[in-house]
Amino acid sequence: MTEEQIFTTDLISSLKTAGVKKTFSNGEFILKEGEIERNLYFVESGAIRVFLLSEYEEQSIRFGFEGSIINSLASYLRESPSEFYIEAIRKTTLRVISKEKVSALANKDFDSLTGYKSLLETVITQQIEREIDLLTVSPTERLKRVLQRSPNLFQKIPLKYIASYLRMTPETLSRIRNS
Amino acid sequence: MKIIGSQLIENLLIITKNSTETVQKLKELKIDEMNEKYAPNEWSILECIEHLNLYGSFYLPVIERAILSQKTVSNPRVFKSSIIGDYFVNLIKIRPDKVKKMSTAKNMNPFGRSLTITTIDRFLKQQEQLKSLLDQAKYVDMTKATTPVSISKFIKLRLGDTLRFMVYHIERHVTQADNIHRN
Repeated sequence: MTEEQIFTTDLISSLKTAGVKKTFSNGEFILKEGEIERNLYFVESGAIRVFLLSEYEEQSIRFGFEGSIINSLASYLRESPSEFYIEAIRKTTLRVISKEKVSALANKDFDSLTGYKSLLETVITQQIEREIDLLTVSPTERLKRVLQRSPNLFQKIPLKYIASYLRMTPETLSRIRNS
Repeated sequence: MKIIGSQLIENLLIITKNSTETVQKLKELKIDEMNEKYAPNEWSILECIEHLNLYGSFYLPVIERAILSQKTVSNPRVFKSSIIGDYFVNLIKIRPDKVKKMSTAKNMNPFGRSLTITTIDRFLKQQEQLKSLLDQAKYVDMTKATTPVSISKFIKLRLGDTLRFMVYHIERHVTQADNIHRN
Protein backbone atom coordinates (compact mmCIF):
# COMPACT_ATOMS: atom_id res chain seq x y z
CA MET A 1 0.00 0.00 0.00
CA THR A 2 1.12 3.57 -0.65
CA GLU A 3 1.35 6.08 2.21
CA GLU A 4 -1.89 7.60 0.97
CA GLN A 5 -3.72 4.29 1.08
CA ILE A 6 -2.33 3.54 4.55
CA PHE A 7 -3.32 6.98 5.80
CA THR A 8 -6.79 6.76 4.24
CA THR A 9 -7.30 3.33 5.79
CA ASP A 10 -6.12 4.67 9.17
CA LEU A 11 -8.39 7.69 8.80
CA ILE A 12 -11.39 5.56 7.95
CA SER A 13 -10.74 3.16 10.80
CA SER A 14 -10.47 6.02 13.29
CA LEU A 15 -13.59 7.59 11.81
CA LYS A 16 -15.31 4.26 12.41
CA THR A 17 -14.02 3.81 15.95
CA ALA A 18 -13.46 7.34 17.32
CA GLY A 19 -16.09 9.03 15.17
CA VAL A 20 -19.38 9.89 16.84
CA LYS A 21 -22.25 8.06 15.23
CA LYS A 22 -25.04 10.40 14.09
CA THR A 23 -28.22 9.62 12.20
CA PHE A 24 -30.05 12.06 9.94
CA SER A 25 -33.45 11.68 8.33
CA ASN A 26 -34.12 12.56 4.70
CA GLY A 27 -34.06 16.35 4.26
CA GLU A 28 -32.24 17.05 7.50
CA PHE A 29 -29.29 19.47 7.38
CA ILE A 30 -25.83 18.42 8.54
CA LEU A 31 -24.39 21.88 7.93
CA LYS A 32 -25.95 25.17 6.82
CA GLU A 33 -24.59 28.13 4.91
CA GLY A 34 -22.80 30.53 7.24
CA GLU A 35 -21.83 27.90 9.80
CA ILE A 36 -18.19 26.91 10.21
CA GLU A 37 -17.30 23.35 9.27
CA ARG A 38 -15.35 21.78 12.12
CA ASN A 39 -15.78 18.10 11.21
CA LEU A 40 -15.05 15.43 8.71
CA TYR A 41 -17.76 12.89 7.91
CA PHE A 42 -17.64 9.27 6.92
CA VAL A 43 -20.86 8.00 5.36
CA GLU A 44 -21.74 4.61 6.87
CA SER A 45 -25.05 4.32 5.05
CA GLY A 46 -27.44 6.52 3.11
CA ALA A 47 -26.57 9.51 0.92
CA ILE A 48 -25.85 13.20 1.37
CA ARG A 49 -25.33 16.12 -0.96
CA VAL A 50 -23.38 19.38 -0.74
CA PHE A 51 -25.15 22.26 -2.46
CA LEU A 52 -24.93 25.98 -3.11
CA LEU A 53 -28.03 28.14 -2.84
CA SER A 54 -28.51 31.05 -5.24
CA GLU A 55 -31.41 33.52 -5.55
CA TYR A 56 -33.18 31.12 -7.87
CA GLU A 57 -31.95 27.56 -7.43
CA GLU A 58 -29.94 24.98 -5.57
CA GLN A 59 -26.79 23.75 -7.28
CA SER A 60 -25.58 20.33 -6.11
CA ILE A 61 -21.78 20.25 -6.16
CA ARG A 62 -20.82 17.00 -4.44
CA PHE A 63 -22.37 13.76 -3.26
CA GLY A 64 -21.43 11.37 -0.52
CA PHE A 65 -22.64 7.79 -0.23
CA GLU A 66 -21.63 4.63 1.58
CA GLY A 67 -17.87 4.76 2.14
CA SER A 68 -17.38 8.43 1.22
CA ILE A 69 -15.36 10.89 3.27
CA ILE A 70 -16.88 14.32 2.86
CA ASN A 71 -17.43 17.78 4.38
CA SER A 72 -17.64 21.44 3.37
CA LEU A 73 -13.98 21.58 2.49
CA ALA A 74 -13.09 25.27 2.09
CA SER A 75 -14.82 26.15 5.36
CA TYR A 76 -13.08 23.25 7.10
CA LEU A 77 -9.64 24.23 5.86
CA ARG A 78 -9.94 27.99 6.37
CA GLU A 79 -12.34 27.94 9.33
CA SER A 80 -14.48 30.46 7.49
CA PRO A 81 -18.30 30.46 7.14
CA SER A 82 -19.45 27.69 4.80
CA GLU A 83 -20.82 28.75 1.43
CA PHE A 84 -22.53 25.39 1.15
CA TYR A 85 -25.28 23.37 2.77
CA ILE A 86 -24.91 19.66 3.48
CA GLU A 87 -28.19 17.77 3.48
CA ALA A 88 -29.13 14.13 3.98
CA ILE A 89 -31.06 12.94 0.91
CA ARG A 90 -31.87 9.53 2.38
CA LYS A 91 -31.92 8.24 5.93
CA THR A 92 -28.21 8.53 6.63
CA THR A 93 -25.77 7.39 9.29
CA LEU A 94 -22.52 9.32 9.59
CA ARG A 95 -19.40 8.95 11.66
CA VAL A 96 -18.30 12.43 12.68
CA ILE A 97 -14.73 13.27 13.63
CA SER A 98 -13.37 16.69 14.61
CA LYS A 99 -10.68 18.59 12.76
CA GLU A 100 -8.44 18.32 15.86
CA LYS A 101 -8.61 14.54 15.74
CA VAL A 102 -7.83 14.46 12.02
CA SER A 103 -4.88 16.75 12.71
CA ALA A 104 -3.57 14.53 15.47
CA LEU A 105 -3.83 11.55 13.17
CA ALA A 106 -2.02 13.33 10.33
CA ASN A 107 0.76 14.54 12.62
CA LYS A 108 1.31 11.19 14.33
CA ASP A 109 4.51 10.37 12.43
CA PHE A 110 6.33 11.09 9.20
CA ASP A 111 4.47 8.44 7.18
CA SER A 112 1.09 9.72 8.32
CA LEU A 113 2.04 13.23 7.28
CA THR A 114 3.13 11.96 3.86
CA GLY A 115 -0.14 10.06 3.57
CA TYR A 116 -2.18 13.12 4.54
CA LYS A 117 -0.34 15.25 1.99
CA SER A 118 -0.94 12.65 -0.68
CA LEU A 119 -4.66 12.51 0.17
CA LEU A 120 -4.88 16.30 -0.23
CA GLU A 121 -3.20 15.98 -3.63
CA THR A 122 -5.87 13.49 -4.66
CA VAL A 123 -8.58 15.90 -3.53
CA ILE A 124 -7.03 18.73 -5.59
CA THR A 125 -6.88 16.45 -8.63
CA GLN A 126 -10.57 15.56 -8.17
CA GLN A 127 -11.45 19.25 -8.03
CA ILE A 128 -9.71 19.78 -11.37
CA GLU A 129 -11.68 16.87 -12.86
CA ARG A 130 -14.84 18.61 -11.64
CA GLU A 131 -13.71 21.87 -13.19
CA ILE A 132 -13.29 20.10 -16.54
CA ASP A 133 -16.81 18.63 -16.09
CA LEU A 134 -18.26 22.10 -15.77
CA LEU A 135 -16.33 23.37 -18.79
CA THR A 136 -17.52 20.48 -20.94
CA VAL A 137 -20.14 21.90 -23.28
CA SER A 138 -21.93 18.75 -24.43
CA PRO A 139 -24.43 17.45 -21.84
CA THR A 140 -23.92 13.88 -23.08
CA GLU A 141 -20.17 14.21 -22.59
CA ARG A 142 -20.67 15.65 -19.09
CA LEU A 143 -22.77 12.65 -18.09
CA LYS A 144 -20.21 10.23 -19.57
CA ARG A 145 -17.35 11.77 -17.60
CA VAL A 146 -19.24 11.56 -14.34
CA LEU A 147 -20.37 7.97 -14.91
CA GLN A 148 -16.76 6.96 -15.60
CA ARG A 149 -15.89 8.20 -12.13
CA SER A 150 -19.02 6.93 -10.36
CA PRO A 151 -20.65 4.14 -12.38
CA ASN A 152 -23.24 3.48 -9.66
CA LEU A 153 -24.34 7.11 -9.26
CA PHE A 154 -27.92 6.47 -10.38
CA GLN A 155 -28.28 3.63 -7.86
CA LYS A 156 -27.24 5.93 -5.03
CA ILE A 157 -28.59 9.41 -5.79
CA PRO A 158 -32.05 10.57 -6.94
CA LEU A 159 -32.10 11.80 -10.54
CA LYS A 160 -33.08 15.41 -9.80
CA TYR A 161 -29.90 15.93 -7.77
CA ILE A 162 -27.70 14.34 -10.43
CA ALA A 163 -29.30 16.66 -13.00
CA SER A 164 -28.43 19.67 -10.85
CA TYR A 165 -24.86 18.37 -10.41
CA LEU A 166 -24.57 18.10 -14.20
CA ARG A 167 -26.11 21.54 -14.69
CA MET A 168 -29.04 20.34 -16.74
CA THR A 169 -32.76 19.90 -16.21
CA PRO A 170 -34.09 16.50 -15.04
CA GLU A 171 -35.91 16.28 -18.41
CA THR A 172 -32.67 16.70 -20.38
CA LEU A 173 -30.94 14.10 -18.21
CA SER A 174 -33.75 11.57 -18.76
CA ARG A 175 -33.64 12.19 -22.50
CA ILE A 176 -29.86 11.65 -22.68
CA ARG A 177 -30.04 8.47 -20.62
CA ASN A 178 -32.76 7.03 -22.83
CA SER A 179 -31.08 7.83 -26.12
CA MET B 1 -48.90 58.78 -9.65
CA LYS B 2 -46.04 61.18 -10.40
CA ILE B 3 -42.85 61.30 -8.36
CA ILE B 4 -39.14 62.11 -8.73
CA GLY B 5 -37.43 58.82 -9.56
CA SER B 6 -34.84 59.00 -6.79
CA GLN B 7 -37.57 59.79 -4.23
CA LEU B 8 -39.59 56.75 -5.31
CA ILE B 9 -36.52 54.55 -4.91
CA GLU B 10 -35.78 55.95 -1.44
CA ASN B 11 -39.33 55.07 -0.33
CA LEU B 12 -39.08 51.57 -1.79
CA LEU B 13 -35.67 50.98 -0.17
CA ILE B 14 -37.09 51.78 3.27
CA ILE B 15 -39.97 49.31 2.87
CA THR B 16 -37.57 46.70 1.50
CA LYS B 17 -35.27 47.11 4.49
CA ASN B 18 -38.21 46.63 6.88
CA SER B 19 -39.34 43.47 5.10
CA THR B 20 -35.81 42.05 5.19
CA GLU B 21 -35.47 42.75 8.92
CA THR B 22 -38.81 41.15 9.71
CA VAL B 23 -37.83 37.96 7.89
CA GLN B 24 -34.40 37.93 9.54
CA LYS B 25 -36.25 37.82 12.88
CA LEU B 26 -38.60 35.08 11.64
CA LYS B 27 -35.54 33.04 10.68
CA GLU B 28 -34.79 32.54 14.37
CA LEU B 29 -37.99 30.49 14.81
CA LYS B 30 -37.88 26.70 14.86
CA ILE B 31 -38.55 25.05 11.51
CA ASP B 32 -41.75 23.42 12.87
CA GLU B 33 -43.13 26.83 13.83
CA MET B 34 -42.40 28.10 10.34
CA ASN B 35 -44.33 25.19 8.83
CA GLU B 36 -47.29 25.48 11.21
CA LYS B 37 -50.68 26.66 9.95
CA TYR B 38 -53.75 27.88 11.74
CA ALA B 39 -56.23 26.60 9.20
CA PRO B 40 -55.69 23.75 6.74
CA ASN B 41 -56.36 25.96 3.71
CA GLU B 42 -54.12 28.82 4.84
CA TRP B 43 -50.42 29.34 4.24
CA SER B 44 -47.66 28.72 6.74
CA ILE B 45 -44.84 31.26 7.24
CA LEU B 46 -42.61 29.32 4.83
CA GLU B 47 -45.37 29.13 2.23
CA CYS B 48 -45.79 32.92 2.36
CA ILE B 49 -42.06 33.34 1.81
CA GLU B 50 -41.86 30.69 -0.92
CA HIS B 51 -44.68 32.48 -2.74
CA LEU B 52 -42.45 35.58 -2.78
CA ASN B 53 -39.49 33.51 -3.99
CA LEU B 54 -41.59 32.28 -6.93
CA TYR B 55 -42.45 35.87 -7.82
CA GLY B 56 -38.84 36.95 -7.39
CA SER B 57 -37.61 34.21 -9.68
CA PHE B 58 -39.77 35.67 -12.42
CA TYR B 59 -39.46 39.40 -11.73
CA LEU B 60 -35.85 39.93 -10.62
CA PRO B 61 -34.36 38.73 -13.93
CA VAL B 62 -36.80 40.79 -16.04
CA ILE B 63 -36.16 43.89 -13.90
CA GLU B 64 -32.43 43.39 -14.32
CA ARG B 65 -32.84 43.08 -18.09
CA ALA B 66 -35.00 46.22 -18.22
CA ILE B 67 -32.34 48.21 -16.36
CA LEU B 68 -29.47 46.91 -18.49
CA SER B 69 -31.35 47.74 -21.71
CA GLN B 70 -31.46 51.46 -20.81
CA LYS B 71 -28.94 54.22 -21.13
CA THR B 72 -28.17 55.77 -17.75
CA VAL B 73 -29.42 59.29 -17.10
CA SER B 74 -27.51 61.81 -15.02
CA ASN B 75 -30.23 64.27 -13.93
CA PRO B 76 -33.18 62.99 -11.85
CA ARG B 77 -36.23 62.06 -13.91
CA VAL B 78 -39.87 62.19 -12.94
CA PHE B 79 -41.54 58.81 -12.89
CA LYS B 80 -45.11 58.68 -14.08
CA SER B 81 -47.26 55.64 -13.30
CA SER B 82 -49.42 54.07 -15.99
CA ILE B 83 -53.12 53.54 -15.23
CA ILE B 84 -52.77 49.77 -15.25
CA GLY B 85 -49.55 49.89 -13.20
CA ASP B 86 -51.21 52.03 -10.56
CA TYR B 87 -54.20 49.67 -10.54
CA PHE B 88 -52.02 46.59 -9.87
CA VAL B 89 -50.04 48.33 -7.15
CA ASN B 90 -53.16 49.54 -5.35
CA LEU B 91 -54.67 46.08 -5.62
CA ILE B 92 -51.94 44.40 -3.60
CA LYS B 93 -50.80 47.27 -1.37
CA ILE B 94 -51.85 46.66 2.24
CA ARG B 95 -54.05 49.18 3.95
CA PRO B 96 -54.09 49.60 7.70
CA ASP B 97 -57.89 49.49 7.92
CA LYS B 98 -58.72 46.24 6.15
CA VAL B 99 -57.19 43.05 4.87
CA LYS B 100 -58.60 41.93 1.59
CA LYS B 101 -57.98 38.29 0.78
CA MET B 102 -56.81 37.52 -2.73
CA SER B 103 -56.38 34.34 -4.70
CA THR B 104 -53.09 33.29 -6.26
CA ALA B 105 -52.19 32.10 -9.72
CA LYS B 106 -51.58 28.35 -9.63
CA ASN B 107 -47.93 28.55 -10.73
CA MET B 108 -47.19 31.00 -7.92
CA ASN B 109 -48.89 28.91 -5.23
CA PRO B 110 -46.43 27.15 -2.88
CA PHE B 111 -49.23 25.26 -1.10
CA GLY B 112 -48.18 21.81 0.06
CA ARG B 113 -44.55 21.93 -1.11
CA SER B 114 -41.99 20.62 1.34
CA LEU B 115 -40.10 23.66 2.53
CA THR B 116 -36.95 24.11 4.58
CA ILE B 117 -34.76 26.88 5.94
CA THR B 118 -33.35 27.39 2.43
CA THR B 119 -36.69 29.07 1.62
CA ILE B 120 -35.81 31.87 4.05
CA ASP B 121 -32.16 32.01 2.95
CA ARG B 122 -33.16 32.24 -0.70
CA PHE B 123 -35.60 35.03 0.10
CA LEU B 124 -32.85 36.97 1.87
CA LYS B 125 -30.60 36.53 -1.17
CA GLN B 126 -33.40 37.81 -3.39
CA GLN B 127 -33.84 40.82 -1.11
CA GLU B 128 -30.15 41.67 -1.54
CA GLN B 129 -30.59 41.38 -5.29
CA LEU B 130 -33.72 43.57 -5.18
CA LYS B 131 -31.92 46.22 -3.13
CA SER B 132 -29.09 46.29 -5.64
CA LEU B 133 -31.56 46.60 -8.54
CA LEU B 134 -33.39 49.45 -6.79
CA ASP B 135 -30.06 51.26 -6.39
CA GLN B 136 -29.36 50.80 -10.10
CA ALA B 137 -32.88 51.78 -11.20
CA LYS B 138 -32.29 55.33 -9.91
CA TYR B 139 -30.04 55.92 -12.90
CA VAL B 140 -32.43 54.91 -15.69
CA ASP B 141 -35.70 56.32 -17.00
CA MET B 142 -38.23 54.16 -15.11
CA THR B 143 -41.13 55.42 -17.23
CA LYS B 144 -39.52 54.44 -20.52
CA ALA B 145 -38.09 51.08 -19.41
CA THR B 146 -40.69 48.30 -19.24
CA THR B 147 -40.92 44.71 -18.06
CA PRO B 148 -43.28 41.85 -18.90
CA VAL B 149 -45.68 40.60 -16.21
CA SER B 150 -46.19 37.05 -14.95
CA ILE B 151 -49.93 36.88 -15.63
CA SER B 152 -50.24 37.90 -19.28
CA LYS B 153 -48.09 38.09 -22.38
CA PHE B 154 -49.99 41.14 -23.62
CA ILE B 155 -49.35 43.56 -20.78
CA LYS B 156 -46.13 45.44 -20.09
CA LEU B 157 -45.49 47.46 -16.98
CA ARG B 158 -43.30 50.51 -16.61
CA LEU B 159 -40.18 49.64 -14.63
CA GLY B 160 -41.17 52.02 -11.82
CA ASP B 161 -44.54 50.28 -11.47
CA THR B 162 -42.95 46.83 -11.53
CA LEU B 163 -40.61 47.90 -8.72
CA ARG B 164 -43.52 49.34 -6.72
CA PHE B 165 -45.51 46.16 -7.29
CA MET B 166 -42.60 43.96 -6.17
CA VAL B 167 -41.88 45.93 -3.00
CA TYR B 168 -45.53 46.26 -1.89
CA HIS B 169 -46.25 42.64 -2.75
CA ILE B 170 -43.32 41.56 -0.57
CA GLU B 171 -44.51 43.85 2.22
CA ARG B 172 -47.96 42.30 2.00
CA HIS B 173 -46.85 38.71 2.44
CA VAL B 174 -44.08 39.42 4.95
CA THR B 175 -46.76 41.12 7.07
CA GLN B 176 -48.94 38.05 6.59
CA ALA B 177 -46.07 35.78 7.72
CA ASP B 178 -45.34 38.01 10.69
CA ASN B 179 -49.00 37.93 11.71
CA ILE B 180 -49.00 34.12 11.65
CA HIS B 181 -46.07 34.26 14.06
CA ARG B 182 -47.73 36.83 16.34
CA ASN B 183 -51.00 34.94 16.57
